[in-house]
Amino acid sequence: MKVLAAGVVPLLLVLHWKHGAGSPLPITPDNATCATRHPCHSNLMDQIRNQLVQLNSSANALFILYYTAQGEPFPSNLDKLCRPDVTDFPPFHANGKEKARLVELYRIIAYLGASLGNITRDQKVLNPNALSLHSKLNATSDTMRGLLSNVLCHLCSKYHVANVDVAYGPDTSNKDVFQKKKLGCQLLGKYKQVIAVVAQAFQTGDLEAYSDPRS
Amino acid sequence: MSFGGVKHSFILAIPPVWKYLCKMLTLQTWIVQALFVFLTTESIGGLLDPCGYINPESPVVQLGSNFTAVCVLKEKCMDYFHVNANYIFWKTNHVTVPKEQYTVINRTASSVTFTNISLLNIQLTCNIRTFGQIDQNVYGIRIISGLPPEKPKNLNCIVNEGKKMMCQWAPGRETYLETNFTLKSEWATEKFDDCEAKRDTPTSCTVDYSPVYFVNIEVWVEAENALGKVTSDHINFDPIDKVKPNPPHNLSVSNSEELSSILKLTWIDSSIKTFIRLKYNIQYRTKDASTWSQIPPEDTASTRSSFTVQDLKPFTEYVFRIRCMKADGKGFWSDWSEEASGITYEDRPSKAPSFWYKIEPSHTHGHRSVRLIWKTLPPFQANGNILDYEVTLTRWKSRLQNYSVNDTELTVNLTNDRYIATLTARNLVGKSDASVLTIPACDFQATHPVKDLKAFPKDNVLWVEWTAPNESVNKYVLEWCVLSDKLPCNPDWQQEDGTVHRTYLRAPSKGPTVRTKKVGKNEAVLEWDQLPVDVQNGFIRNYTIFYRTIIGNETAVNVDSSHTEYTLSSLTSDTLYMVRMAAYTDEGGKYGPEFTFTTPKFAQGEIEAIVVPVCLAFLLTTLLGVLFCFNKRDLIKKHIWPNVPDPSKSHIAQWSPHTPPRHNFNPKDQMYSDGNFTDVSVVEIEANDRKPFTEDLKSLELFKKEKISTEGHSSGIGGSSCMSSSRPSISSSDENESAQNTSSTVQYSTVVHSGYRHQVPSVQVFSRSESTQPLLDSEERPEDLQLVDNVEGSDGILPRQQYFKQNCSQHETSPVISHFERSKQGSSVNEEDFVRLKQQQISDHISQSNGSGQMKMFQEVPTANVFGLGTEGQVERFETVGMEAALDEGMPKSYLPQTVRQGGYMPQ
Repeated sequence: MKVLAAGVVPLLLVLHWKHGAGSPLPITPDNATCATRHPCHSNLMDQIRNQLVQLNSSANALFILYYTAQGEPFPSNLDKLCRPDVTDFPPFHANGKEKARLVELYRIIAYLGASLGNITRDQKVLNPNALSLHSKLNATSDTMRGLLSNVLCHLCSKYHVANVDVAYGPDTSNKDVFQKKKLGCQLLGKYKQVIAVVAQAFQTGDLEAYSDPRS
Repeated sequence: MSFGGVKHSFILAIPPVWKYLCKMLTLQTWIVQALFVFLTTESIGGLLDPCGYINPESPVVQLGSNFTAVCVLKEKCMDYFHVNANYIFWKTNHVTVPKEQYTVINRTASSVTFTNISLLNIQLTCNIRTFGQIDQNVYGIRIISGLPPEKPKNLNCIVNEGKKMMCQWAPGRETYLETNFTLKSEWATEKFDDCEAKRDTPTSCTVDYSPVYFVNIEVWVEAENALGKVTSDHINFDPIDKVKPNPPHNLSVSNSEELSSILKLTWIDSSIKTFIRLKYNIQYRTKDASTWSQIPPEDTASTRSSFTVQDLKPFTEYVFRIRCMKADGKGFWSDWSEEASGITYEDRPSKAPSFWYKIEPSHTHGHRSVRLIWKTLPPFQANGNILDYEVTLTRWKSRLQNYSVNDTELTVNLTNDRYIATLTARNLVGKSDASVLTIPACDFQATHPVKDLKAFPKDNVLWVEWTAPNESVNKYVLEWCVLSDKLPCNPDWQQEDGTVHRTYLRAPSKGPTVRTKKVGKNEAVLEWDQLPVDVQNGFIRNYTIFYRTIIGNETAVNVDSSHTEYTLSSLTSDTLYMVRMAAYTDEGGKYGPEFTFTTPKFAQGEIEAIVVPVCLAFLLTTLLGVLFCFNKRDLIKKHIWPNVPDPSKSHIAQWSPHTPPRHNFNPKDQMYSDGNFTDVSVVEIEANDRKPFTEDLKSLELFKKEKISTEGHSSGIGGSSCMSSSRPSISSSDENESAQNTSSTVQYSTVVHSGYRHQVPSVQVFSRSESTQPLLDSEERPEDLQLVDNVEGSDGILPRQQYFKQNCSQHETSPVISHFERSKQGSSVNEEDFVRLKQQQISDHISQSNGSGQMKMFQEVPTANVFGLGTEGQVERFETVGMEAALDEGMPKSYLPQTVRQGGYMPQ
């Protein structure tokens, strides 16, 4: 219970904090129909692609900014400390159908959003003066939040998918300082790696999406 | 509230050791006060329980609509005042509402209805008339009027890159009410916090959250006031389509040595280019130009960080600026970047210099001195910095002679043969084409000279026309100089194509623009810029400045062409001057625009130079005046406000018996120099007819007897007025009876001294006045004096004596006066009083003469001397003035108030 209280509650807080984390789950229940506040826009896929480009263009800078801000030994031991070994990271199949890719994208962004929320929270404590890093983390989280909204909207409006099961990474609140930094660095390394693949997949997968929108 | 006062005085009274206790008491007192106020308020609240109420309580009404209010009376109040709803009347802003608008609903309620409300703020009160005559206010409300908000229009948003989104809208009509505008925004999946427009900017709002690009957001505005809420149309957009990027930065310009017509621009785009495509506007201009040229937009329609601008002039400085926006045209142009400039690379001179020669007289036989002259190329032809000029001279069948010249002329000694001269200008890149000139042989005679050469002015230029020879002509050279008495002929030339036979001497196409650099009271410094070479059309030989006033003639001043400023002197102050300038080449001149300036009225510091001395002089004068007045205050006082004796303080007895007979020993003292007589202080009696002193003693005795009756007639008036005395005592030449009769009818008698302002009177005058008022110095009139003279002249006795000396000003406070005051205490003077009075006067005088030597009165009236108490000096003074009073013979112990003259009053 202690672990639950220490980890889950902050996590939930983070997840519901608009500027700190991505939305973890589609709100709609399993058997509910998709309901949005207003009709989704028609060019969602363009927007999703642009968002992926946007994320991809800043991912490496964020990674560098992060490990630089942590100080030694991180910059000189990237291979050991920031190796993108993240367990339970949602899979992505670049050659899948658009619907499947969108669902996988949703899971990935939800995972990343929650993890970024944790990292942002930790960094504000561990590196309170790294304002540039905080700003970049917030901007990335905001973009991910927008991406989730678009993906949800698209899944809902086009594929009528109202519910996607998501998984989150480990909570870092009960970890020591070094572990927090290390987990953050590993996550951002993974993010940099994954987002490049995903962005590339959606850049090349358009034809299929347009040819078989209902697949 | 009385507790406060009690407490306060109590605290002030206690000693410091009880301060702590006092504090406690104070606290308790305050608590009691608070309770008192609370209870009072509660009770007043009960007392102020209104007699009724109005419904609605706080209405807000739409302008132009109808409004009904109901006043309901309470039963308790109705019973107390014996009223019902019929007694209700309404007032708006203290004006009674016509009864036609009332409706009595029932026994307790009455309503009033207003149609088409037009006032924004109405105070409405419900009143009752109690006891038939007393109007009593029952309740009051304030009706606020206004309009519901209109639907906000033209909602639009902008996202300044790196900042938060700002939306603005048109709020619609004035509502006259407090209207809140709320910007609402949401994604399809979530809602954002509302953005409340600030009071001072009700037409815009900047959201709190950072914009997220590539997610459509829906935005609308709600306007709400007391009369309603209205929502604008929703707009749905992607914030990236509303973005205003940051302008490109670090714009730099570089030239190319290979191409003198291009410049390459490089810049750094804003970070937004990482996920959107941009397009650009690039503008440029030459450094001196004011208008921008723009690179065709289609050439800059995609994201880039450099651009090469072509078709530029060589060796010319250009200024560039750039802006960007989203390539699809959605969004806003960025601001312009910082300007950057660059100079295109040099190119070889594009034209050969204009070339000519002058043959100068030479004494060397067989040779001649030839001065080769040429003009500098204007920048647009030089295409760079001209390093030097190369001149070659070729004689017929002879070898080439080369010269490299930095100047624009070259003098060479040539033989009388024919020469071919060539000239090229050279810059860093290359040489210009060559100007070729043939210097004919010395004996060359032109076979077909130009004929009918004539010059005439037209259209402000000097035209030259000639008849072309029949043979073909390569080119013409016009040569001229300005005819001037002062300047030598300084030749200039102009080359024309061989096909023309008429041209004009190219004067400057533009005149210099003159302006003032500094304007003084009598001078003005003018300045101007050198004319650009392009408009000079030749060599500027001189400038001429023309200046004039509105009514004056124009004055011209010639200024050397090397100057760019000139000082006009001998100008008139506070005058409007009009000045213009002309630049002259050998071909002519051109006026520049006229400029006006006004010379100031005063030079700098002149006002201060005038005002400060004047102020100082004024201050000095004032100071001296004050000092003078201070020093002469007594004199001034005498002239301006002489002391007017108070008749109520006068007494006839004061002057007559107390002053001993005295001789006026000082000529000055004989004159009433100031004419300011107030109190009778001296009675000088000179026995001009030298009566024996025994008679004086007799007179004293008689006087003592007579005095009672005399004083009885003139009591209270005799000694008060300047120059006045008791008429009965001295003016009558008759017997006592006569005097008594006179005194019974004449209340005031005036003894007018014949001297006034240092003028020694010819006679001693006693004037009789019919006035009942004290006579003032200023009331003396010559005719009165004359009249008295005549009257008394019949007596044949005209002693020039001062019988009464009155001193009005300087010795007001002398002990004598106080002594007189004291003596006045007895209104009826008897002998005893008189003696007592005399003694007191003596004692007073002793003390005064010892203590105050400046008392003129005492110097003149040495009463003590009479009694042998005077100082020796005083005695001597009396002697020197020839006083013949019986001082030596021994003065009596009293003195006589009497005139000793013939025909005068003589106590018997």
